[in-house]
Amino acid sequence: MAGLATTFGSGAMTNSISEIEQADVIIVSGSNTTEAHPQIARRIIDAVDGSAGLIVIDPRKTDISKFASVHLQIRPGTDIPLLNCIMRIILDENLVDDVFIEMRTENYVVLRDMLYRLDLDETAAETGVSLEKIRRAAKLFGRAHKGVFCYCLGITQHICGTDNVRSIANLAMLTGNVEKQDTGVDPLRGQNNVQGACDMGALPNVFPGYQGVADPTAREKFSRAWKSELSDKPGLTLLDMTHKSRENGLHAMFIMGENPMLSDPVQDKVKETFDSLEFLAVADIFLTETARCAHVVFPAASFAEKSGTFTNSERRVQHVRQAIEPIGDSRTDSEIITDLSAGMGYAMAYDNPAEIMEEIAMLTPLYGGMHHDRLNENWGLQWPCPDRNHPGTPYLHKHSFTRGKGLFQPASHQEPGEPPDEQYPFKLMTGRVYHHYHTGAMTRASHLLSRECPRALLEINPEDADRLGVRDGEYVTLSTRRGNITICTKITDRVQPGMLYTSFHFHEAPVNKLTIGSVDPTAKCPEYKICAARLERIQS
Amino acid sequence: MSAAYILAKDHLKSFVRKISKGSRLIAPVTNEYGDTLYSEINCLDSTQIDTQHQPQSSIKHFFLPQQESILSYSVSQAGEYHFSNILIGVPTVFFGVRSCDLAGLLYMDVIFSNPAKDPYYFKKRENSIIISLGCNEPFENCFCNATKSGPFLDFGFDLRFTDLGDRFLVEPGRKRGMEILEEFAYFFNDASEQDLKDQYQLQLESRSSFQQNVHVDLAIKKLANEEVGKDVWQDLADRCQDCGGCAYVCPTCTCFTITDQPVSESEGERVRSWDACTFAGFTRMVGGHNPVSSEHSLRRRFLHKLKYDVSLHNRTSCTGCGRCVGICFGGVDIIKFISAVCES
Amino acid sequence: MYLPSQAVIQDITIENSRIKTYTLAFTDKEYQRNFSYAPGQFMMVSVPHCGEAPISFASSPTRPGTIELSVRKAGELTSRLHSLPAGSMIGLRGPYGKPFPMEELAGKDLLFVAGGIGLAPLRSVITFCLDSGKYGTITLLYGSRTPEDIAFQADIEMWRKAGVDCRLTVDESSSDWQGNVGVVTTLLPQTMPLSSSTVSLVCGPLVMIDFVIKELTQMGLKDEDIITTMERHMKCGVGVCGHCHMDDKMICVDGPVFSKKELTESVAHFQEKPTVT
Repeated sequence: MAGLATTFGSGAMTNSISEIEQADVIIVSGSNTTEAHPQIARRIIDAVDGSAGLIVIDPRKTDISKFASVHLQIRPGTDIPLLNCIMRIILDENLVDDVFIEMRTENYVVLRDMLYRLDLDETAAETGVSLEKIRRAAKLFGRAHKGVFCYCLGITQHICGTDNVRSIANLAMLTGNVEKQDTGVDPLRGQNNVQGACDMGALPNVFPGYQGVADPTAREKFSRAWKSELSDKPGLTLLDMTHKSRENGLHAMFIMGENPMLSDPVQDKVKETFDSLEFLAVADIFLTETARCAHVVFPAASFAEKSGTFTNSERRVQHVRQAIEPIGDSRTDSEIITDLSAGMGYAMAYDNPAEIMEEIAMLTPLYGGMHHDRLNENWGLQWPCPDRNHPGTPYLHKHSFTRGKGLFQPASHQEPGEPPDEQYPFKLMTGRVYHHYHTGAMTRASHLLSRECPRALLEINPEDADRLGVRDGEYVTLSTRRGNITICTKITDRVQPGMLYTSFHFHEAPVNKLTIGSVDPTAKCPEYKICAARLERIQS
Repeated sequence: MSAAYILAKDHLKSFVRKISKGSRLIAPVTNEYGDTLYSEINCLDSTQIDTQHQPQSSIKHFFLPQQESILSYSVSQAGEYHFSNILIGVPTVFFGVRSCDLAGLLYMDVIFSNPAKDPYYFKKRENSIIISLGCNEPFENCFCNATKSGPFLDFGFDLRFTDLGDRFLVEPGRKRGMEILEEFAYFFNDASEQDLKDQYQLQLESRSSFQQNVHVDLAIKKLANEEVGKDVWQDLADRCQDCGGCAYVCPTCTCFTITDQPVSESEGERVRSWDACTFAGFTRMVGGHNPVSSEHSLRRRFLHKLKYDVSLHNRTSCTGCGRCVGICFGGVDIIKFISAVCES
Repeated sequence: MYLPSQAVIQDITIENSRIKTYTLAFTDKEYQRNFSYAPGQFMMVSVPHCGEAPISFASSPTRPGTIELSVRKAGELTSRLHSLPAGSMIGLRGPYGKPFPMEELAGKDLLFVAGGIGLAPLRSVITFCLDSGKYGTITLLYGSRTPEDIAFQADIEMWRKAGVDCRLTVDESSSDWQGNVGVVTTLLPQTMPLSSSTVSLVCGPLVMIDFVIKELTQMGLKDEDIITTMERHMKCGVGVCGHCHMDDKMICVDGPVFSKKELTESVAHFQEKPTVT
């Protein structure tokens, strides 16, 4: 978010999903696309079938890497040196888009000077990938007329997540691969409505539509509409709440549809926080690990039991209509919020979700023309959509960046918060699997999905497994400085020697007991992707 | 088939109303989102039967529901553990069934007859009246001409309708169809020589307007005699996204799983639900061993339809409906497979 | 056809830390009296709230009145079953599957090769042979992981007394183990030479079956004289649900008993390596 917002002025996928199919070179970085975004993977594979080039940047062999023209299997956490290498080669090969840089961007000289100072051999060595391979990728992307850069949490969930994103933006601007149809920078959002939640101001420092709380005009507008004085101070970030409630004077929390007990790093700290709160209320469709910690639980309605909108990765706002009546005592999120609010002395009377959408349209220029009746046509609308007659925006930054000119922000390599050492010699990476969604609150209740993927698997390279005498399918103890868990191994060359990989969906093997609490200083995104770990056989 | 009759289009609604008295009526309906589905029609006056579009799913789920409680069980305090059958079959009239879906139903009749009649399936099947509708124009992904199951399947229906523009040509098939024609004879006139000629002409035109050219016969021949190349399976496996969509929309995919769903400590239901042979967990055993490797996850699906059923039942169990072509987003549908086999 | 009948656990024999043998009788006495089965067949076993699993007969129809099923603790259902005391009720339906060709085997010398729980279905055959007295010499080669894992020890003692040549081996020995150490194929050379009327019945883990069959073939046994049983994930037991497919065969109705001849003739992927996923 922060990375793209400061460079382009807008933190969202610049393309439409269908445009990916038209690209002639696609870079996929830090994204296990076939498992996490199968519908996007399909577009990528279709593009490859239509002779597009595919460059995959991922420490692991993933299914999408099978389709790659070049797979850059970097050492985890070396995205910046890799991208800097690629840019330097593009510069050397004279593949930069001079006109674009001149007309549309600023601060280029700083990047260029930094790139010229780079020792290519040394930097390539940092990534663990041969310079020759990087050169192939660089030339491929540099020569693309329509280049698309897709990335996901493998880029952002690092201590240098924001700088990773800035480097991607640098590469895109250097080659003129933004502001046009079928070319752009595409962060793939992990859930059906992450984009919508961000759009609606579920971030510490903004009102809906990225209107800053520090901006007096915006504050004034929302204060008037909501008839209450609004603070100009940003709120707390996720880990500031779940790890440091006491330091931040937090006494009570209301958590909706989120399960930080499994999804946030350093589980013990989260548990400590929840235990120490004076009051914790949770609204969820099932009794999650987090809900079990709560003083009050509100049973929430599922997607099929309510109406409203979801905003997907490509900024498309889609109307979802109720299919069945809420089961048991469950109620929709909006009912829970409005009733709670009324009970606390602030009446929120809306007849239906459409009326809420009208208020959103009124106060949020990005959503200005989005009303339920319009969303029913053509599979919804893509923001920005400022007024009722606006057709929506398939790709961002047409003719100029949202912030005016694109800002080059050079970055250099940063070591992960916790590099491996003698005591904890492995780099532990975490991710997701195809069959489960987040902490499994919903998917693990499905018999078929549970059968398909019944347990967490820790991927380990055959070399390491041999050395430690670990058998395939054996349960081992995986530990970091935060704690240890028992987990089933899967021996596979998908991971390189020295790396371990697993998913966080399973409460029986809660890997976020182990992950580190370090965060990216700008975006405050936790460094889920790397921490130092040790693996031991269980003595019977 | 000796007899053929004419029903004026104006009288379709009243005819359907008559024959579905006391029964459930299922017919293709296009809903407000533009999806055409075989749907239950409660009010014929406010619902339009859609005879123009291909329903997006087959009629399979009316006979083999996606989830169906087949047994209830109880465990008493004393430990007594008893089961009883849950047999549900509502008299149902199916109108507007396409040939591919009828062929699928006839295939299910065979599958659920061995080694004995499946009681849950036949309770529904024996309570059904099937009125099929010939396809004057094949749809985008159809290739039922190549699987010999359409566009005008000549058997298996109680009544078959052919749309002749301002009128339907109606032909009886099974005994029940004949009885209906006799009972409601006042709706019908005898078909003329010209009506039959018109129908013949329509069938000819339909057969010549398929957009998909799929060499099912050639593929069957090749599959019977040679192994499919390893690279073909690998390529398909790499692209398959393991969603199971192909099996779910397929009129003949009948693989299922059975699980217990406890209702309380002492009661529960045994549930039969759709499964798909392409899922890894379909064959994985409790200890983790999987006798079917991931490269071969699609082998069962394609060879079952195009090889094993040909040798067992002398016909392919693909009915050429093309639905898996529309739903597959990995590009590993049966047309791709057949082409790959024919090219190899 | 999916309706289980209630059966009571009359007795439980602990074979090793993971295998128990259950003596069962249908609570409907009439049903029990009329119940018949053959060695090699299996039952679908229901345990309250756990669904069903296929389990082979470990007993022989020559001893009517009860049936015996040996169960290795592996998944949810078998774990729950292991926790049930004698007197508990379970559900049974069956018998299913094609049995061993007991008629054709009459008069033959029989070489049984088993690993772990794989002895259970062969126990049914051995008991049948001993009770009927219509068979030639009987040899049993039985492999276990460790000496503690050797199951069916009481049976083995009994068989020895009845003249069965029982040879045991373990993969990993302990200090007081006097017997053979090594996988079960290491016992095969000791049984040379085989008589011309020898038929071998093999049952155990997939990998073991593969190795044993290769070895037996090298020792000159004809494909039709090597008989094995295949294990698969099963849901219906009657050839409909599709789970136990093996090319054009359904293990639950075309098997679980197959000769090597049947396997190699019709199953293209019989020798395919098993994978863990």
